[in-house]
Amino acid sequence: MAGITVTQAAFSLSDIVKIFPGVRALDRASLEVRPGEVHGLIGENGAGKSTVIKVLAGVCQPDSGTIIVGGQRIASATPAGVHSAGVRFIHQELHLVPHFTVTESVFMGQELHGSLGLARRKMRRLAEAFLRDNLGLDISGNRLIRDLGTAERKLVQVARALIDGAAKAVIFDEPTAPLANEEIEMVMQAIARLKAQGIAILYVSHYLSEITDICDRVTVYRQGRTVGVFDEISDASAGELIYAMIGREISDMFPNKGARATGEGLVVDGLSDGAHFDSVSLTVGKGRILGIAGLIGSGREELIDTIYGLRRKTAGSLRFDGETLQVATAAQAVAQGIVLVPRDRRNDGLVLPMTVAENATLATLEANSRAGLIDARAVGDATTALIDSLDIRPPNVDAVTRLLSGGNQQKVVLARWLAADARVFLFDEPTVGVDVGAKAEIYQLIEDLATKGASVILSSSDPVELLGVCDQIVVMMRGRVAGEVAASDVSVDNLVAAITGAAMVEGFANAR
Amino acid sequence: MRAEARLSAWLSDLVGYLPLAILIGVLAYISLNAPNFLTLRNLELVLMQSLPVVLVCAGLAVVVMAGGDDVVSGGIDLSIPATAVLSAGITAQMLTLGYPLALCAVAALVACLVVGVINAALVSRIGMTPLLTTLAMFVAVVGVNNVVTASRRINVDHPWILALREAEIGGMPLGIVLVVMIVGTLFVAAHQTRWGLNLQAAGGSRDAAEISGINPGRLVGQSFVVAAVTGFVCGFFVLARGSGSSPGVQDNLMLEMVLATFLGAAFSPRRVVTLWGAVLGAVIVAAISIGFKSMGVNVFWTGLIKGSLIVVVVAFSAMAQRGR
Repeated sequence: MAGITVTQAAFSLSDIVKIFPGVRALDRASLEVRPGEVHGLIGENGAGKSTVIKVLAGVCQPDSGTIIVGGQRIASATPAGVHSAGVRFIHQELHLVPHFTVTESVFMGQELHGSLGLARRKMRRLAEAFLRDNLGLDISGNRLIRDLGTAERKLVQVARALIDGAAKAVIFDEPTAPLANEEIEMVMQAIARLKAQGIAILYVSHYLSEITDICDRVTVYRQGRTVGVFDEISDASAGELIYAMIGREISDMFPNKGARATGEGLVVDGLSDGAHFDSVSLTVGKGRILGIAGLIGSGREELIDTIYGLRRKTAGSLRFDGETLQVATAAQAVAQGIVLVPRDRRNDGLVLPMTVAENATLATLEANSRAGLIDARAVGDATTALIDSLDIRPPNVDAVTRLLSGGNQQKVVLARWLAADARVFLFDEPTVGVDVGAKAEIYQLIEDLATKGASVILSSSDPVELLGVCDQIVVMMRGRVAGEVAASDVSVDNLVAAITGAAMVEGFANAR
Repeated sequence: MRAEARLSAWLSDLVGYLPLAILIGVLAYISLNAPNFLTLRNLELVLMQSLPVVLVCAGLAVVVMAGGDDVVSGGIDLSIPATAVLSAGITAQMLTLGYPLALCAVAALVACLVVGVINAALVSRIGMTPLLTTLAMFVAVVGVNNVVTASRRINVDHPWILALREAEIGGMPLGIVLVVMIVGTLFVAAHQTRWGLNLQAAGGSRDAAEISGINPGRLVGQSFVVAAVTGFVCGFFVLARGSGSSPGVQDNLMLEMVLATFLGAAFSPRRVVTLWGAVLGAVIVAAISIGFKSMGVNVFWTGLIKGSLIVVVVAFSAMAQRGR
């Protein structure tokens, strides 16, 4: 159906190249979106989706390529120029003022004036009418943003972008990420209404089930390139889309899985935080590596933080070898042998201006102190041993942590916990921003921890990494455990399908 | 979960009203113990006394609206009271030297605008935190004023300045009428114009404002200049209230300004700093000060009580924010 009638594109980008220092973010990427269609854009993290949106928005200038909006070639896109050409962006973040009313938010930056100051009544009438007629949301313009649900806020954000009536194309960037299941329908219906008005819609999402539901056509990016444009989208397309997205072999960067200790290890029982995840139960035996997969917003990050005591749990319990753990603060977690290698190591994991020795022994200062004073020699000796065993480079206890590479910084975080003699290791995205060589080393370190009998949880957004490193993988979806499977029983395609909510696949169907 | 969220929102609403309840309690206590407190004559006295604080509060409210109500990283201008005493000091000194009032006022206005522009440049161009910037400006400007006045008291008996305290217009004290007009103008600007809504948007969410094509930096800068102008006007009311310029006025003014402005957030239905909330807060704080005096409470104790009230107010507003 689509593709037969040749309509003029609302906007198109062809052969866009964008090089950041050391990375070809876009390498001849293309995209064409027509009036009255919902066009999906998918790809793994780092495939170039955000960069192409920035190029279209005029925030980021491409090194080469052609941008055409409404039939006009744009030599260099500027935010103002793109806006006046009728292209609107619905960012992932809501960017609303909590104590503003719906009306004030819709007209923010484009307020209407009467002869006696603000035309508040007129703005309210227009905002309410726009939300009702164009987005299907019947709401009083006097309500405060902070009293609205997330989907309602999303629609207010959409109304703000479209209220001037000049929109011809709208880009939705992960619009449903913060929404609960029952709220998604509201946003979907609003998008359908916009489509019916002939507006061109680009829909960027990680949720494949939404892509196959709502999109007429889909473009797939991989490593900065367009690897496919699909004209016929149905529920059955998920497999093809995933194959186009992944398209790579599991490399040999992963360690061989060795013999493992046995023992019950860590048991998480019915853990909830009252907001981001609900009744999550996991078991990580001694010497086992459990992977946690899930999209951003699946509750994965919050789950890890809660196990570590950074967030308050509202229900559930933690046990280790049958003994109940009381973890209300991170200090208690560390005292009971639970440690975290955080996702944002630069902010949360390390004190960058301090030396390697200072960072590595931060958690074990008591052991290295005498009469309350730090024993510099003990600190130095302990650190030298850790530097040796982890192969931290440069092998210098007094090196300033800021100057180390990402992989070596990650090892310093690990060194601290090895010094603290932990029994449960939580890794949250340990290889983000780390080069390939260091990745392999980190994987080996994780494997070594397991071999020595630690219980390891690895939360990651990289399905290949999860399959390569873990014994078991749990998939989280919108705050709940959607399934669990042995890493050896599942393919990358099926794991991605499970993570993105495409039809549940064998191996997952039987789990739980 | 919904019900829990509603309960916690309701609780934080309740916590948000606590500072107000505490202050009304304090006022009730005072009026029981100082029998003359609730007379019309005394209430007029309270209003007259509150005028300088009302003016600087209005200025601070504009700055907080533009910069956001986070006391540390948001908008704040501690230098307004210093600007006010500088305005008073320059005017008093030049009057004693025999210059005409109009010329004194122009000189004072220029000095105050310089302070406002420096604040604006440091905060929105260089990106310094408003708290540190304006605290430093406070110290510097008080220093300048000490040089100008040689740190001594200067009596002023210019009839126009004393008129701010004594004259009446249509049965109403002139000072009150003028302040109502000034505050009214600011109110319309901050709450009834596009500029005002953009100002609030900038303070409410810098990102949201920027995405909507608003320039938050410029608005923050402008708010400091508006604040400096309120400081300038306040200087004349300081002169009128004290029949001249005396060293040390700024300290109490700053304390009451911060207390009253953030207290004012408790009066606003949206729980944010607003112009009229700040002004009402200023009047209540003045009432408490006078109330304690008329009860015969030791002046030194008054400081402790006011300081504690600031802590309580800021603590409760932080708790109300957290409940959201």
